[in-house]
Amino acid sequence: MFRHLGRRAASCTARKRTYSDFKHGNLPHSHSPITTDLEFFNSVRPDGQQIPTYRVLDSVGQPIDGSTVPEPFSYICSSYETMMLLPTLDTLLYSVQRQGKISFYHGEEATVVGSAAALSPTDEVLGQYREMGVLLWRGFDLDSIMSQCLGNKEDKATKGRQMPVHFGSPQHHFHTISSPLATQIPQAAGVGYALKRDPERRGKDCAVCYFGEGAASEGDFHAGMLLASTIPSPTLFIVRNNGFAISTPSSEQYYGDGIAARGPGYGIDTIRVDGNDILAVLGAVREARRRCVQQGRAVLVESMTYRVGHHSTSDDSFAYRARQEVEDRKKVDNPVSRLRLFLESRKWWSDDEETELKARLKSEILTAFKRAENLSRWELKELFSDVYAGDEPWNLREQREELGELLKKYGTVWEPWKKEREKFNGSGDEFLS
Amino acid sequence: MSTEAAIEPPPAGGHVPSIATSTLLRSTREAALKTPSIRWCDDPQVGSSSSVLVDSRETRKMNTYQAVRDAMSIALNKDETAVVFGEDVAFGGVFRCTMGLAEEFGRERVFNTPLTEQGIAGFGIGLAAMGQTAIAEIQFSDYIYPAFDQLVNEAAKLRYRSGGQYNVGGLTIRTPTMAVGHGGLYHSQSPEGFFLGAAGLKIVIPRSPIQAKGLLLASIRDPNPVIFMEPKILYRSAIEQVPLDDYELPLSQAEILTSGSDLTILTYGTPVYTCETAIHHLSQPPPSLDALIPQSVRSASVELIDLRTILPWDVDTVVKSVQKTGRLLIVHEAGRTGGVAGEIATEIQKRCFLRLEAPVHRVTGWEDSEISTPVALQYEKFYIPDAVRVLDGIIKALTY
Repeated sequence: MFRHLGRRAASCTARKRTYSDFKHGNLPHSHSPITTDLEFFNSVRPDGQQIPTYRVLDSVGQPIDGSTVPEPFSYICSSYETMMLLPTLDTLLYSVQRQGKISFYHGEEATVVGSAAALSPTDEVLGQYREMGVLLWRGFDLDSIMSQCLGNKEDKATKGRQMPVHFGSPQHHFHTISSPLATQIPQAAGVGYALKRDPERRGKDCAVCYFGEGAASEGDFHAGMLLASTIPSPTLFIVRNNGFAISTPSSEQYYGDGIAARGPGYGIDTIRVDGNDILAVLGAVREARRRCVQQGRAVLVESMTYRVGHHSTSDDSFAYRARQEVEDRKKVDNPVSRLRLFLESRKWWSDDEETELKARLKSEILTAFKRAENLSRWELKELFSDVYAGDEPWNLREQREELGELLKKYGTVWEPWKKEREKFNGSGDEFLS
Repeated sequence: MSTEAAIEPPPAGGHVPSIATSTLLRSTREAALKTPSIRWCDDPQVGSSSSVLVDSRETRKMNTYQAVRDAMSIALNKDETAVVFGEDVAFGGVFRCTMGLAEEFGRERVFNTPLTEQGIAGFGIGLAAMGQTAIAEIQFSDYIYPAFDQLVNEAAKLRYRSGGQYNVGGLTIRTPTMAVGHGGLYHSQSPEGFFLGAAGLKIVIPRSPIQAKGLLLASIRDPNPVIFMEPKILYRSAIEQVPLDDYELPLSQAEILTSGSDLTILTYGTPVYTCETAIHHLSQPPPSLDALIPQSVRSASVELIDLRTILPWDVDTVVKSVQKTGRLLIVHEAGRTGGVAGEIATEIQKRCFLRLEAPVHRVTGWEDSEISTPVALQYEKFYIPDAVRVLDGIIKALTY
């Protein structure tokens, strides 16, 4: 956008030579050239021109002429496995529908996995709640995934306190998700600044903040971008623009040219990338990260993703997909099939391997699920822990004791409580003794 | 009475305690070093707390903003990860609390932020989540509301929601609070009550320079996020001899300022001094009030308590006092409904029900609009609980 404006400004000054050397002398902190043209500018342009989208693969998985396929290629094969894991997990958990909130939004596998592969494993990630792929890429195992989603006693991320997909793991440098949207954006600026101040991590790691285009409407988006640019810190913002915030289309979310148009307003290096092209995401985020860490400044990546066909929740999606593979190939912009086609064209992937992978993933996921399903919850006393560090305040202690009294009185006779107690490790006995 | 005040001629009308002449302020070195519950935090190299004699410690006359600055200077000196930031803090802050800190510690550690309270809180949360010490300033507590989501949904809950894996114990939010007499609706508020339900947060409000320094250092080092509200009228008006060494005062511990047996007054922040004045008027009413103060209450013995930490508050000290006096008056500047006094009154009536000789009385700001803490500019004299309103509350509680 601003490139075009710059060109236009240049042609203006060339035409009006008398003003070419004039800068406004009275404006503090401004080198704005003087113009006699009464001209307004906007990211929405009369000619319809928009910020371009960086892409490597075409819709049938072939590199576009002039594009650069990011290396090493081993990353690409691993990416594909992680990408395949996401929809497989999604399908299982969706069919379980324990809480009606388990959904991983197909169509964003390339953005999440591609960006994860571009990061250092020690970059601090602050996600929204669709970035499970980053954790999987970093080795957060299926048992941990299932434990959090089912809230059992192995859910170290939240001790069963949060809804599904609210992961967190300091070991994987993945900050615990919270449901309020966009709160992680200014926090990321603080995390970036902390990295900059840490002699052991300065110039090595960055903060990486994911959010959706809907979250970018929150004031916290503005606050976070502003802080990360004004108080320079290595903070990489990755916005997944999938065109919808729940049901609201992006046309009702903003009028400007996406979220990328806002980056220059904060003085932040910005790129828009085809979010369904994992090689484009990998390449763009890798370069974004390099700038971010090297310059110690914020960078914004807008990843354009789309809700492709997979989101319909077929009960038998493996069979469905296998039968429809030819159809899939035709589906423009499907991130998984695009990468598969690319891999196949290089003879790095075959139908046999695909079949084997699907079967293996399905089996691993089912095993992890069954295991997690049979584990009890944490102990009931965890209801009251981790509120404050240090001595437990009297009000919490008294309320915990009050629940204890109630459990002693009703917990063995009142059926709903009796049944519920059994789900906890130790059946809430710590309150009864 | 301070020694300095004592050498001045008595004002016309005799000594009426005010902030300037308050006997609650420790204006001598000896008194300052005897501050109750003071905990010296000496460097291990220098010697343990017990081995450094109190006699060798120095004090300096400071007002509250200087004491706050002193605390931050110590925190920055001793903790390499500590940073101080907020709107206008680099030039010293609009209340001068950060004067010279940017020059002393550099702009990487003491820096301005853009005008974004939610951003300041979020930025601090990010720093603290990385184990660093974030000392953030919200320029007026009236402007803390944009940060409400970050403080209540994020700072308060991070430890709990992450199963104890993450926390923001290193976060302290400083913010000037309460009225000054000309601040109107948006420079006078006392929003502490809004945070009462935010378990995970601590709320601390100091009454004086010594208190401010010790409580602020304790807040900065407390392993929980703390909102530290500084009564802004006290920045300049409250002056004490403040120990120069590093020391802390305990959180969640109220302080009995004057002991008594007939009535407990519980307050915090600026109204501490209003209450002191009211207690003075009770036994020695000025001529204008003489006819209005019943003889029967004039010799009443009043226990004055400074709550200091609002969340989690010190129920034991208050209960013990009310068990002794049987009567409780709570004073705060914030509006009444949903205020701190209501919460405390409920707990006290539950614990002291059979001992109470009067309902728990409240003297607070009025709720004179739909906003819960308005302080109408030209009406402040009648909004803020002044000495006469507190006095009236004392009489009502004693004569119930």
